[in-house]
Amino acid sequence: MLIRKKSLSLAVILILLSSLLLTACSGDGKQSSNGGQEKVEISIFQFKVEIANELEAAVKEYQDKNQNVKINLETVGGGDDYGAALRAKFQSGNEPTIFNVGGPQDVEDWTHKLENLSDQPWVDLALHGVLSGVTVDGKVYGLPFNMEGYGLIYNKRIFEAAGINPSEIRDFASLEAAVKLLDDKINNGELKEQFPLLEAVFEYPAKETWVTGLHTSNMFLGQEFESSLAAFDAKTLDFKYANQLKSIIDLQADYSPNAKTKNRLNAVDYSTQVEQGLAMERVAIIQQGNWVFGGVNSINKEVAENLGLLPMPVVGVKENTIPVGIPMYWTVNKDSSDAQREVAKDFLNWLYTSDTGKEYIVNKFYFIPPFEGFDKLQPSDPLSADILKFAEAGNTTPWVFMGYPTAWGMDVLGVNIQKYFAGEFTWEQVVEDSKAKWQEMR
Amino acid sequence: MSSNKHRSKKVILIISILLAIIFLAPFYLVLTNSFKTQQGIFLNVMRLPFGDFFNPQNYIEAFKQLNYIRSFLNSLFITVFSTIIIIIFSSMAAWMLVRTKTKLSTFLFFLFTSAMLIPFQSVMLPLVNIMGRLGLLNPIGLIFMYLGFGSSLSIILYHGFVKNIPIELEEAATIDGCSPIQIFLYIIFPLLKPITVTVSILNVMWIWNDFLLPQLVINKPQWHTIPLKMFYFFGQYSRRWDLALAGLVISMIPIITFYFIVQKHIIKGITQGSIK
Amino acid sequence: MKQSKLWFTLFIAPILFAFIVVVIVPMIVGIYYSFTDWDAIRTGSWVGFDNYARVFKDKDFFNSFVFTTKFAIISVISINIIGFILALLVTQDHKISNFLRSVFFLPNLIGGLILGFIWQFIFTRGFDAVGKLMGIEFLQGWLSDTTTGFWGLVILMSWQMSGYMMVIYIAALQNIPQSLLEAADIDGANSWHKLKHITIPLVAPAFTVGVFLALSCSFKLYDQNLALTGGGPYNSTQMLALNIYNTAFRFRDFGGAQAKAVIFLLIVAAITLTQVYIGKKREVEM
Repeated sequence: MLIRKKSLSLAVILILLSSLLLTACSGDGKQSSNGGQEKVEISIFQFKVEIANELEAAVKEYQDKNQNVKINLETVGGGDDYGAALRAKFQSGNEPTIFNVGGPQDVEDWTHKLENLSDQPWVDLALHGVLSGVTVDGKVYGLPFNMEGYGLIYNKRIFEAAGINPSEIRDFASLEAAVKLLDDKINNGELKEQFPLLEAVFEYPAKETWVTGLHTSNMFLGQEFESSLAAFDAKTLDFKYANQLKSIIDLQADYSPNAKTKNRLNAVDYSTQVEQGLAMERVAIIQQGNWVFGGVNSINKEVAENLGLLPMPVVGVKENTIPVGIPMYWTVNKDSSDAQREVAKDFLNWLYTSDTGKEYIVNKFYFIPPFEGFDKLQPSDPLSADILKFAEAGNTTPWVFMGYPTAWGMDVLGVNIQKYFAGEFTWEQVVEDSKAKWQEMR
Repeated sequence: MSSNKHRSKKVILIISILLAIIFLAPFYLVLTNSFKTQQGIFLNVMRLPFGDFFNPQNYIEAFKQLNYIRSFLNSLFITVFSTIIIIIFSSMAAWMLVRTKTKLSTFLFFLFTSAMLIPFQSVMLPLVNIMGRLGLLNPIGLIFMYLGFGSSLSIILYHGFVKNIPIELEEAATIDGCSPIQIFLYIIFPLLKPITVTVSILNVMWIWNDFLLPQLVINKPQWHTIPLKMFYFFGQYSRRWDLALAGLVISMIPIITFYFIVQKHIIKGITQGSIK
Repeated sequence: MKQSKLWFTLFIAPILFAFIVVVIVPMIVGIYYSFTDWDAIRTGSWVGFDNYARVFKDKDFFNSFVFTTKFAIISVISINIIGFILALLVTQDHKISNFLRSVFFLPNLIGGLILGFIWQFIFTRGFDAVGKLMGIEFLQGWLSDTTTGFWGLVILMSWQMSGYMMVIYIAALQNIPQSLLEAADIDGANSWHKLKHITIPLVAPAFTVGVFLALSCSFKLYDQNLALTGGGPYNSTQMLALNIYNTAFRFRDFGGAQAKAVIFLLIVAAITLTQVYIGKKREVEM
């Protein structure tokens, strides 16, 4: 009997101590009644690293308005694979209320978890086509984050100093000519005085397999498949434009600081490319999208204000074009409680349709909104403005990479491109292996 | 002869100091660069963080982003409670196993010992699955799991120590009418103090630094431990070295402080722990 | 008698319960799962040896096995040699030997994840900067290929673990009877002879401990691998533990991952049993 008492008193001590510790750190995570209203706690697990801080601010503002709501925000992205992290979360039972999916493949994978959002007010405001990736049998399962476009981002001041007129670059030949000209001027020291750090035309982050395996490749598979749904349905891959893909990859590698040691491109990461590359004026052009604006802006405002977007030409097919699409969608977990789902929907609705929310979307997140009703808020950064120009002129290619088989883009094609740079694979092997794996994974 | 010896001693000293510098160099680089702006780090890693490079703001930002106080308390809570229950239950079990001479007791000790063979990765997937079903994917569950994983080494260490405690003391106490729980509490446990220190230190160092188990178990951000927070922080600021380095420095401070306080015991603990 | 059984149960039950739930049950369940097409949500149906057959055809898994083995061998050697040298250095009488011990042991305290990030910085920024400054090609582009990724891991592990080995070897060195060394002095033996004929043979049992500790740590390495190279480039520096994790959480092949986990268990168990065997044999000999 004595031992019972002992362990009991021990348990009491443990509980007391732990409650002491818990209260010491403000005791969140506890449900407490607040003015008769039940406190609702939801969690958001999202992938967009660039907006993590600003989204946190938006969450705070929403919580201030809705005192009974507590939102836990968690961001995983950048160097990590969001998909893997999300799966680990679900596998462990700590399911988030709001999470992100990328397109048809994700929707199929997660279909048993997705809440039908068709009755939400923003559905009618969506621009044409932005919901197609998350619509199954007429039901809408996701709210599009934003419209994003990428291409070859260039530094206007460097182009000007080198005497290159960017508006004349409309196809691969003119792009290549401009790159060669710029390269010559860098090598003979003409630009040294004005841009002391400038060492090459491009920087290409082969370490980030999403840049190579998803973005670069999308440009070319986007000609092969007309939408991510088409890619999703394709049992085999022809890789019709593999040679064009090779030429743009080679161009970026051959005029990078590692042109002579290409295997080192495999260690070049996002920050080396964007912050240490473009923002520091160490390189003049990088393949990235409008999401880099914030990062560049925090390092060098002048560079950020003088960025522009060049097309990514697919030789002989479609040259003056950039890929524009929806990177990710917000979804609500069907298995959350009724109250949680209500709050989740309300929060998303608030973020995209209220005036405060819209302000965040355009001016804090630097998003290009995929909805109507943002007329008064024009994109404030030059990259988004350029993307809109391409879009208005109809010079866009769809994003299809979300229709690739799970993990194919990054872990097959992206990895194969690394092998290509390392000299492990010839280009033919890259193409053959990627085609074979596509078929295998379908 | 003597001057020769003197000289060789000096050479050894110089080599030792050089090695110490090499060992400390990574810390030095991390520390100096953590005070620099991002441009400063890009432009010159070797330069000291003065002048236009100086940016102590990194620390404020990293402190906020890591939610440092909270993560620190989480780590502390989990480490301290896991270690306490490991000590209580493993010392009790080890004492009983030594003093009971039955086949069952031998078998159980064998079972605990042989579990040292099992690498964590080979049980992690089913473990998380089972714990998820039991609703134990939270700090309490984590502490319970540390008890399970920590049991083997701690029992082995206690077992070895108890074997050398003369049984006469206990026999006398039994005759005086003490129950086993009293004997354990008042006679045995105090005698175990040296090995308890060792067991505590080995467990603290393991649990404080552990990453994979919390990564699988703790998913609510408000319960993230320091290594976990650091991992997500790093992902979030993918190679924003200015913030990342400041974060690394503050995440190392607690364990290094701990080391300087109980250094002697740590060295002793390692020695004992490894001999087993 | 009956009462003593009760006490036995009371004292052992709590930890045994945790042990069974956390270690034994998952191990048995895991072996079962490795024969099913388990997907972490549904239990899955029996597929016999399909998972194992797939694992044996999995080139990445084979590569990571080879990489892990190579890494383990090299790092065991370097960790122990450096650890032994450090122990020799700090057991010489110096005013600062205690300080030196603290310094050499310091890296050991810090978690593998944080160490991995630190060294990522050192290799990619520090090495690069020094390399550019002094025009040393060799120092540039670290972690961009398999070779530098491999040596990066070896350096990281040596830096982390040799302090630990040092502590073990110090204990062994201090157990050498001083009289033996003095006798050798009188016989006119030089330092090298003393080291070769007295110190090393007497420290040998500690070498067994050191070698196997380093071996099992190297085989199970995960945190450092994840933080330093993340397996890149092209998964060529991916070690076994990371490969298992990625198979499960990236490719969502839980059955396959669990089959790998069982194979991993067998490998690690074999290593540890060899250690026990050699240890026992030595004890008998002595």
